[in-house]
Amino acid sequence: MKKAVASVRAWAGRRGALALAALLMAAPASAARSPESWDRIAPARELLGDAKPRAGGIELRLPAVTQDGSSVPLTVRVDHPMEEGNFVEALYLFASGNPSPELAEIRFTPLAGEARIDTRIRLDGSQTVVALARTSRGEWLAGAREVRVTVSGCNSRSAGSVENLMEVRVRAPDRLRAGQTGDVRTLINHPMETGLRADAEGRVIPERIVRTFRVEFEGRTVLEARYYRAMAANPYLLFPVAPERSGTLSFFWKEDAGESVTAEASIRVS
Amino acid sequence: MKAIPGISRREALRLLGVVGAGSLLGAALPLKARSLGSARVVVVGGGFGGATAAKYLKRFAPSLDVTLVEPQRRFYTCPFTNLYLGGLRDFESLGHDYRQLTDHYGVTVVHERAEAVDTERKEIRLSGGAALSWDRLVLSPGIDFRWGELEGYDEAAAVKAPHAWKAGPQTMLLRRQLEAMPDGGTFILVAPDNPFRCPPGPYERVSMIAHYLRTEKPRSKILLLDAKDSFSKQGLFMEGWKENYGDLIEWVPRSSDGRVLRVDAGRLEVETEFGEIHRADVLNVVPPQKAGFIAERAGVADETGWVPVNPKTFESTRVPGIYVIGDATQAAPMPKSGFVANTQAKITARAIAADLAGKAPPDPKWANTCYSLIAPGWGITVAGVYDVHDGNLREVPDSGGVSPLGADRSFRAREATYAEAWYAGIAHDTWGTRPGA
Ligand SMILES: Cc1cc2nc3c(=O)[nH]c(=O)nc-3n(C[C@H](O)[C@H](O)[C@H](O)COP(=O)(O)OP(=O)(O)OC[C@H]3O[C@@H](n4cnc5c(N)ncnc54)[C@H](O)[C@@H]3O)c2cc1C
Repeated sequence: MKKAVASVRAWAGRRGALALAALLMAAPASAARSPESWDRIAPARELLGDAKPRAGGIELRLPAVTQDGSSVPLTVRVDHPMEEGNFVEALYLFASGNPSPELAEIRFTPLAGEARIDTRIRLDGSQTVVALARTSRGEWLAGAREVRVTVSGCNSRSAGSVENLMEVRVRAPDRLRAGQTGDVRTLINHPMETGLRADAEGRVIPERIVRTFRVEFEGRTVLEARYYRAMAANPYLLFPVAPERSGTLSFFWKEDAGESVTAEASIRVS
Repeated sequence: MKAIPGISRREALRLLGVVGAGSLLGAALPLKARSLGSARVVVVGGGFGGATAAKYLKRFAPSLDVTLVEPQRRFYTCPFTNLYLGGLRDFESLGHDYRQLTDHYGVTVVHERAEAVDTERKEIRLSGGAALSWDRLVLSPGIDFRWGELEGYDEAAAVKAPHAWKAGPQTMLLRRQLEAMPDGGTFILVAPDNPFRCPPGPYERVSMIAHYLRTEKPRSKILLLDAKDSFSKQGLFMEGWKENYGDLIEWVPRSSDGRVLRVDAGRLEVETEFGEIHRADVLNVVPPQKAGFIAERAGVADETGWVPVNPKTFESTRVPGIYVIGDATQAAPMPKSGFVANTQAKITARAIAADLAGKAPPDPKWANTCYSLIAPGWGITVAGVYDVHDGNLREVPDSGGVSPLGADRSFRAREATYAEAWYAGIAHDTWGTRPGA
């Protein structure tokens, strides 16, 4: 792989080399950053008040074009330390073009090791996805990325029912070295009804959302999330954890309707 | 009129040692099209996109000097390999040669691989070491795999757990493994996330393998582990599976832990995202994909691994003068299908001919139909028409659709015969070959 690239450089002409260099260096978010994108989102403006966020420092990864707006993979990574007294305290995600732009709000602690998540979101058409992060020192960072959603009969989704409602899955790294960061994956089977959809008879299906998700390690909070309707059905969240010793992770999900469910996973630290 | 830089065609051919029937055709060309000069177009890849482009370039502008670069002397189509796996077709019936393109259409075919692209000098370097220069370059290299992106799945692993996602030895290996599988065994197919070649392909494949197993090894099971929560023609496939195979096929979507993160080809085991281990007797892994390697070497692919193109002409947005078609492109909402590659090729051939004649490209419309066979005499389709709207590709509203759910057997049987006819038709349109010939 490396070798192939090197030989291209030698062989490609100037324009080719430039194109290639651009290709190698392009940070995923740089292609479509529009620094003022949060200005157009009312709840984002409210959050910020007079604060001026610094553009850059948040990397968003989304497919540039997707054929399935009902489940778009999203990765967000905040490039900032996660140490006591200086860490990313909260990450706010917005889908600027959705009927209600709030997507999720995620609070981290230094126990997470990194401020980074993977999830799946719903996008109602082509738009800009925006992320704001607040550090424990009160600074704001911002990032944005455009995504084009095309309708395609070939990949159209049959609006299926969700089976095994409230069934949860978790997976933690089974072994870590002290101070090492490992990925935790979580999923809950849930339709995440938006309240904007009608059934076959034309009756509106009431909103039903998994609203909060919390993770603790031995009683200390690792992460706390609040979900909105732009989270895809079967909410999925991958996030890091960096425990100093062995112990148990506990997971708590809670619906609007009041139903809740928990899970546990143990981590061995050597 | 465009100048012809570099070596002349005849010289190049001598250099390559491929002087043959094709090189004499210049004399036989009609004179009226000489106004385009004998500009040279090189087409890389003799599959659905490339072979069609080469042929139609000669049809639209007979005086063009068109060279097709394709390492294989006989091309085997992915379409209908699933029927071969199900025991409904023999493998040779999927092979097509290039004789019609050279003898009848005047395309020069060079059986080598393009190894590098010099965009400054407008030359490609071939595996034999020679160079070919172009005025316009068309790339239709299909896909390559992202080896290693799925942990444990590299080229060595594919010898034990085939992908069979390019037609050839891999397809035959999978068939041999199925034949050797004991009755009562488990066949596992691992399906990737979007985008990938042939969205309905994995689902047609398990259908055809279900047909084979039900007939020959009725105690066996099929597990389809999917990185997605939905797929192309899902309702129709599910209905057809139930009607034809009962519960032989189990589909595990992403939200039920269907996404595979690690493959152990030696043990024929896969591990899912939430840690479940599944063991197969025959393991078929369709790995994550990207544009064929030459796209990256030409500098036309972006960080996604696919090629962004100008929607109207499919000229690269990164390197002018290079056109890219077929699976290698980012052409959503068009699916990565042979049908689409074939229509893209014709539209791009028109755009190139127009450009060389100093004219504007025509307003394009593309079409697609993907047939899938669920069982013998049980076909289903999805169709769509695409155009450029506000500078982007889109599916024309209400243009296409899928077969109806709940249709009777005679309806499904008719669609199965349309599928056969489609195959014969597109093969003839692409390579000029006729089935059985
Ligand atoms: C199981 C399966 C079933 C399918 N069924 C259907 C179907 O029913 N209908 C349908 O429409 N589509 C179907 N497809 C999809 C179809 O096969 C592809 O979409 C189609 O082949 C794409 O055409 P292409 O020209 O982009 O690539 P290909 O047809 O793959 O052609 C690429 C060619 O380029 C050559 N090449 C690559 N790199 C180089 C290089 N550097 N130099 C020279 N040559 C090179 C390769 O040798 C190859 O011959 C199916 C696919 C699969 C896997």
